[in-house]
Amino acid sequence: MYFAGVDIGSTMTKIVLTDTDGRVLSAIKGPTGPEHRQLANEVMKTALEQAGLQLDDISYVVATGYGRFNVPFADRQITELSCHAKGVSSLFPNARTAIDIGGQDAKCLKIHNGKLIDFVMNDKCAAGTGRFLEVIAATLGIRLDDLGDIALKSAKKIQISNFCTIFAQQEVVSRLSEGEKLEDIVAGLHDALASRVAALARRLKVEPDVVLTGGVAKNIGMVKAMKENLGCELLVPKDPLITGAMGAAILAKEHAMEAIAKGEPVPTKPRRLEKATFFH
Amino acid sequence: MRVKNLMTWFMGIDIGSVYSKGVLTKDSELVASCVILSGANYRVAAETIRHELLKQVNLSQDDITNIVATGSGAANVHFAGRKASDIICTARGINSIFPRVKTAIDVAGQSTKVMRLDTQGMVTNFVVSEKCAAGSGRFIEVIANVLRIDLNDFGPLSLKSQNPITFNTGCAVFGETEAITRVAEGISKEDIAAGVNNALATKISSLVKRVKLAEPCAICGGGALNIGLVKAVEQELNIQLLMPPQPQIIAALGAAIIAQT
Repeated sequence: MYFAGVDIGSTMTKIVLTDTDGRVLSAIKGPTGPEHRQLANEVMKTALEQAGLQLDDISYVVATGYGRFNVPFADRQITELSCHAKGVSSLFPNARTAIDIGGQDAKCLKIHNGKLIDFVMNDKCAAGTGRFLEVIAATLGIRLDDLGDIALKSAKKIQISNFCTIFAQQEVVSRLSEGEKLEDIVAGLHDALASRVAALARRLKVEPDVVLTGGVAKNIGMVKAMKENLGCELLVPKDPLITGAMGAAILAKEHAMEAIAKGEPVPTKPRRLEKATFFH
Repeated sequence: MRVKNLMTWFMGIDIGSVYSKGVLTKDSELVASCVILSGANYRVAAETIRHELLKQVNLSQDDITNIVATGSGAANVHFAGRKASDIICTARGINSIFPRVKTAIDVAGQSTKVMRLDTQGMVTNFVVSEKCAAGSGRFIEVIANVLRIDLNDFGPLSLKSQNPITFNTGCAVFGETEAITRVAEGISKEDIAAGVNNALATKISSLVKRVKLAEPCAICGGGALNIGLVKAVEQELNIQLLMPPQPQIIAALGAAIIAQT
């Protein structure tokens, strides 16, 4: 049997296909466009191709993330919080705290015995999410992927005094014109974002092991800044983007197995591998 | 040879985050004013304003009795006699035009301020929103940029809306993305513009409520040039707002008045 987890985030769709033993057959990340993430079907086609499977071969499909209601080939929707907790626990069984910084939100999860027990999140203000770095990288003309390496070069980070992303954008330009070093400004930006996310996380008790996930966890400068701001070590998965999809695939297997154990058919829904047409 | 000017001239200069404003008064009457973009160098902006004001009335620096600077860049007006806070200057300025005003709303490029005034124009209470672009005129600028419309057209355009959109976010960055999505969905520019004005009006009115609204209430600052925003605030507060003829120069005017004392 095969299972799929589909995580539709703000900019990327992540899909993980597993078999009954939990082996990952494919893990694909693809852009679905900001416009209603309509193209999840394209990412699914790629994932199936890589695993050498057809959609009908998949026993159960769980969709998660912002766009989870917009997946015409999903059997069930589960919140990204539950899926993240599941995915993180599968990779790091001792994880008690998971911090996920995405392009549009940041969340902190408390996990106990692999289950989500509490969470806090920010999706109200861009300054506490990956978007903060994205906007300012664009202003500075730096590729998002290079941002972390630049931050690590700094010996003396510059405090960014504005909270709001838009005001900070302007502050960065004036700092540059004052002759401050780019790496010091970039390090300051990382510290600013990390301090906000750490403050969010501290609303729950941060207990080890602490895992950092989401696209921002790929930024080595942010991992360092988060360690400094939290004052503890951080575990980062090899692919920090796919923990949600991974958790969704594991939950897909669990739900299917539960039905089978009860002697019931796996509760699939009619699936269409096509462009999504509606959005919640 | 020019006769030495015996009248008393005063100058108020307000260096804001986006625009810099200057006012010249003669015997307490407003005789000259100017508004320029602040640009990257506030010292240059201050010099430009002084030069422009003096040119308008054909005077030299020596004819000016006193100069007061205000605004976030006040420290850059090195030729000012002294500095005064923008809250106090705005209050004085609005009081000189509307002596009975008890509440003044100042919607600026990077902040919004609401002041409660007594009958002498003294500030009895105030609240400032400056942490977040979505609570200032900047939100309008960001969305005007998405819609590719001139700021001057924003208000009149928004008034044409039949069906304003509701923004799902209170953040200007996320709001920008939301506006782009709405454009892609084919929503009209006027409905999006009206939606932004409503969103900002909601934030402004919650600030007003924090200092307790007392009428009459006036609105000033660059945001007051957006007629759609003014109407939206009126609707939100369910009152009629007073508006000075040149809402952008109120703090500079107040600074010139303070220069007389």
